[in-house]
Amino acid sequence: MSLQAWVRRTRVPEPASVRREIAVVEPADLLDVEAKDDPEASPVLCCTGESAGAAAFSALWLKRIAGSGRYAAAVSVRGQGNTPAAPGGVEARAHDLVQAAIGLPRQAVLVGHGAGAAWAALAAARYPAAALVLVAPHKLPKQPPKPVGDPKVLLAVDESDAQSKEAQAITDAYGVAPLTFPGVSGDVFTGPGAEGLLDTILSWLGRRD
Amino acid sequence: MQEYSSQAAYDRGEAVCVIGAGAAGLIAVKNLRENGFEVDCYERDTVLGGLWNPENQHSPLYPNTHLVTSRSQTEIPDFPMPDDWPDYPSASQMLDYLKRYASHFGLAEHIWYGSEISHVEPVEGSRFEVVVKPAAGSAARRLRYGAVIIATGHHWVPNLPSYPGQDGFRGTVLHSSQLKDGSRLRGKSVLVVGGGNSGIDIACEAAVNAAECVHSVRRGYWYLPKYLGGEPADYALARLRRRPSWLRGFLTDRLLKGHRELSARMGMEAPDHRHTDEEPIRNGRYLEHVGDGSIRRRPDVARFDGGEVAFTDGTTVRPDVVVLATGYKPKIACCPPGLLGVEGDSAHPKLLARMFSPRVETLAVAGLVEPGVGTLPIVHWQTHAISHWLHIRKGDPERAANFRQQVVSESAQYAVDSTGISPRHQLAVDAEEYLAGLGRIIDTLEQEPVK
Repeated sequence: MSLQAWVRRTRVPEPASVRREIAVVEPADLLDVEAKDDPEASPVLCCTGESAGAAAFSALWLKRIAGSGRYAAAVSVRGQGNTPAAPGGVEARAHDLVQAAIGLPRQAVLVGHGAGAAWAALAAARYPAAALVLVAPHKLPKQPPKPVGDPKVLLAVDESDAQSKEAQAITDAYGVAPLTFPGVSGDVFTGPGAEGLLDTILSWLGRRD
Repeated sequence: MQEYSSQAAYDRGEAVCVIGAGAAGLIAVKNLRENGFEVDCYERDTVLGGLWNPENQHSPLYPNTHLVTSRSQTEIPDFPMPDDWPDYPSASQMLDYLKRYASHFGLAEHIWYGSEISHVEPVEGSRFEVVVKPAAGSAARRLRYGAVIIATGHHWVPNLPSYPGQDGFRGTVLHSSQLKDGSRLRGKSVLVVGGGNSGIDIACEAAVNAAECVHSVRRGYWYLPKYLGGEPADYALARLRRRPSWLRGFLTDRLLKGHRELSARMGMEAPDHRHTDEEPIRNGRYLEHVGDGSIRRRPDVARFDGGEVAFTDGTTVRPDVVVLATGYKPKIACCPPGLLGVEGDSAHPKLLARMFSPRVETLAVAGLVEPGVGTLPIVHWQTHAISHWLHIRKGDPERAANFRQQVVSESAQYAVDSTGISPRHQLAVDAEEYLAGLGRIIDTLEQEPVK
C-alpha cells in the first residue's frame, strides 16, 4: 500500500462494522488424523466469491489445511453465509478480509477464490500477507495494487481458463506463471481435482525459496 | 570507567539495533524484518508497549487516558485496529493492540528486555558499536551493528517548571506522570497547571472527583471537541483536505466556529496560531465543566506561598494537591548529541527529514515528531522509508547516494523553527506537508533503478 493510497483511505468513511462469520479448524482440533501442529507455519485465511462464504471451505479445505499443521480459517464477508449484509463494494469486502486477518494469531496467508480473489488482492495491498493465493480469480482489477511486504504469489486457474486474457493479465501483473488444475472453477471445493489442487497449494506454501 | 565483560565487541554483521520496544520500536522492528534485516531490539523495561503499558515503571499514563485522535487516524496502516472498537480507544486497548501487533508479526523474539543502551558510537565509517547495560547487575556488553534506529519516544523526562516558593509549599506537588490513580484527587482541592491535552484531561478528572478544581493555563489553545459535524473531529478536519484550498479554509472555519466562540465566551484567550500549528486540545467535556463552574480557570502561577498559590492576576487558592501537567522534554541520552545535530544552545535534535542523523547515514530516529494527528502511522511510514533505504544501501550504493540528496532537500522544509512558546512545540510538524514529503522520499526509494 502506498502512502498516498493510505492517506486517501483515511479520508473516506470506514465501512460499517459487521459481525463476521469465521470458521476455524486448528491442527489440534483434528481427532481422526495425525496432524503435527507447526507453530512456525503461517495460518491460512480463505474466502470465496460464492454466497456460501466460509461454509464452502468446511467440507474439505479447512480440515486438509489443518491436517498439514496450519491454523485454517475461512471468513464470510458481508452478505455471505451467516454474516449480515451491509453496504459497501469490493473495498468493504477487502476490509472484511483484512479485519479477519488481523484477528488471527499470526501473519496469515490469504487465499481468494473466484471474486474472492479480487478481495484478497486488494486486502494484500493493505495487510502484509505471508503469501497470496489466487484460485480461479474473477473480476480482478486490471491493475491490481502492489501487495505490501512483498509476499510470494500463487495463481491457480482451471485448464479452460489458462489461455484467457484475464489469466494472462494477472500473470503479467504479478509476474508469476499460472498453475493449471483440471475441471472448472466451481469444482475446487468438492470435485475430483479439489484434493490435488489443495495439496499443490499446500506444498507450494511449505516450499522455502 | 565502563567495565566490559569481554574486550572485543561481538559483531552482529548487517543486523540493525532498535532502541526501545514501545509503539515506535515495534513498528521499526516489523518493517526492518519485512525488508530482510536481522534485528535486535533493546528495551530498558521488562515489558513492551512503552508509554502505553502501566506496568512500565516509567509509564506516563494518568487516570482514564484515552486516545485524543480517532481510531482510523491512529491505527498502524497495515495492521488496523478491530473495527468494532470505539472511535477513541482507551490506553488499555491501545496496549492490547500493540501486544497483538507484536505477536501477529512474531516480534517478541527479537526484543531483549531489561537492557538499556548506555552508549552508541560510530565505528568503521557507518557501523555502530553499542553498549548494552543489563538492568540486573551483570557487566555491560558491547555489540556491533550495521545500523541503529532510536525509537525511545519523547514522553519520559518530565518538564518541570519551578516557581518561587515552591520548595516551601505545604501541599503535595506531582507531575502528571506520577498521578497513577484518580483516587488521589478524591475530595481534595486540586490545582492543575498546564493547558495541554494531559492538563485538560486531568482537570476534567478532577472536576468530577475532587472537591474543587482550579486550572492554570498561561496561553490560548485551540479547544476542539472529540466530535465535529457528526464525525470524529480529526477525521472531519482531515476530510476537508480533499477539497480545493479556497473552499477548505471556509469549510474548516465553519466547522470550528462554534467551538471558537464557545471558548471565547468562557473567557479564554484566543489562540495565537492556526489549529494545525500545534496539537490542538481534544476534549469535549472540558468546556462544559468550565461552563458549569466545576473547573475554575486561572492564568499562569506567579508563586507558591506556604499553603497558598498566587496567580499572575493576583488571585490565590489553597490547594491540597498541585498537578503539574507541564509535558515532557525530548531527550535521547544514549547517543552523543552531535550525531543528532544538537548544536549550540538548542537542546533539540536537527534531523534530516525529522528522522535521519545529519552525521552518520545509518543512524535514524523514529517518532520524534508531534504531527497533530496519530503518531503511529507517521512512525510506520518513517520506518518504512528507513528500512527501505537501508535495504537499497546494501545493494546499490549509487542509488542510495542520490536518495541522500533528496532527503537533504526535503528536510529543508522541516528545519526546526522554534517559536519558543513551549518545548514540545519544537517537535510539531504539519502532518499534511510532512506526509507529502515522506511520500516523495518513499516514491524515490521504490522506483525501479534505471538500468
